[in-house]
Amino acid sequence: MKPSPLERTIEVILTVGLVLSGSLLLLGLILGHPGLQRYGILILMLTPVGRVVVVTVGLINQRDWVFALISLWILGVIASSMFFSHG
Amino acid sequence: MITPSPLLLTLTGAGSGLVGALLGLGGGVFLVPLLTLVLGVPIRAAIAASLISVIATASASAVVNLNRGMVNMRLGLVLEVATSLGGLAGGLTSTMLSPRQLFILFGMTLGVMGVLMLVRSKLRNVIADLGVEPGLLGGRLREDDRTYVYRMKNLPVGLFMSLVAGAISGLLGLGGGIIKVPVLNTFCGIPIKVAAATSTFMIGVTAAASAFIYFNRGDVSLPLTAAVAIGAFPGSALGARLATRIHARYLKLFMAIILLLVGAQMAFKAL
Repeated sequence: MKPSPLERTIEVILTVGLVLSGSLLLLGLILGHPGLQRYGILILMLTPVGRVVVVTVGLINQRDWVFALISLWILGVIASSMFFSHG
Repeated sequence: MITPSPLLLTLTGAGSGLVGALLGLGGGVFLVPLLTLVLGVPIRAAIAASLISVIATASASAVVNLNRGMVNMRLGLVLEVATSLGGLAGGLTSTMLSPRQLFILFGMTLGVMGVLMLVRSKLRNVIADLGVEPGLLGGRLREDDRTYVYRMKNLPVGLFMSLVAGAISGLLGLGGGIIKVPVLNTFCGIPIKVAAATSTFMIGVTAAASAFIYFNRGDVSLPLTAAVAIGAFPGSALGARLATRIHARYLKLFMAIILLLVGAQMAFKAL
């Protein structure tokens, strides 16, 4: 079973997020720099968000409205979590 | 708070990432017990560190699984509707539970899932007849040079349990794979390898939905989280590559035994 073009794009976005956050975390730990560690963690957390954005755009492009709407809902939930700081 | 050496934390992250990716999980189910029981990290700090590491492990596994065409993306998206909401709710309510309650909940979750896996480990979910239509959320799976067809059964159960998995994830720092994989496999008719692969696709979103809440609340402690998370990168990359070599039957048995052992340990800690 071969991956679809959309699946390929998801692979790319996930890999970019991982490489970027991994490098920042490693550098932050080696240099003892909390700022870099924070950014590494932030980018790692944003990686799945990036994935949802890519999927949503991909599905809209394919005119797969039902699943695009589903993906948009997920994006809404995850985006709203960013604005909660108390619980 | 005792601060374990960064190297020890990284090794713990690597080990959890390896076994997690091997089983199609985020690895939080091993990471939280290791950090709390073995390294003496307070459970809230361990949960936050685990949520972050789980994203790394699941994303690395998802890349490998997508590349193999093992992820059922439509099924993943439908279930993410519920699991993301659960993750959000779990993250928001996590401060209402005491550490003792967290340990008990952790132990209970693992125990229930372990028994479920053990009881159902002999069943096969695939339909060999290629004339059967997989339906909107089903699919085909190639294994040992044969193609199998599977259909999604009991969607409401799958959705409800994804919501629960999300909430447990937000409360306990798991990605929820430990619940989603057995449920998809035993109740929804999804072959274990597709369930595990699709779960890795969903886990990142589930964990992120609550990770932001922990992060904004200041529960993500540095450099602890960074040291644990960096280990998850190489660990999960290796685990995801080894995962295809394991037979489905042993995968289920191995998972069941680990669940029961770790569950008992966590529950014991609360006594």
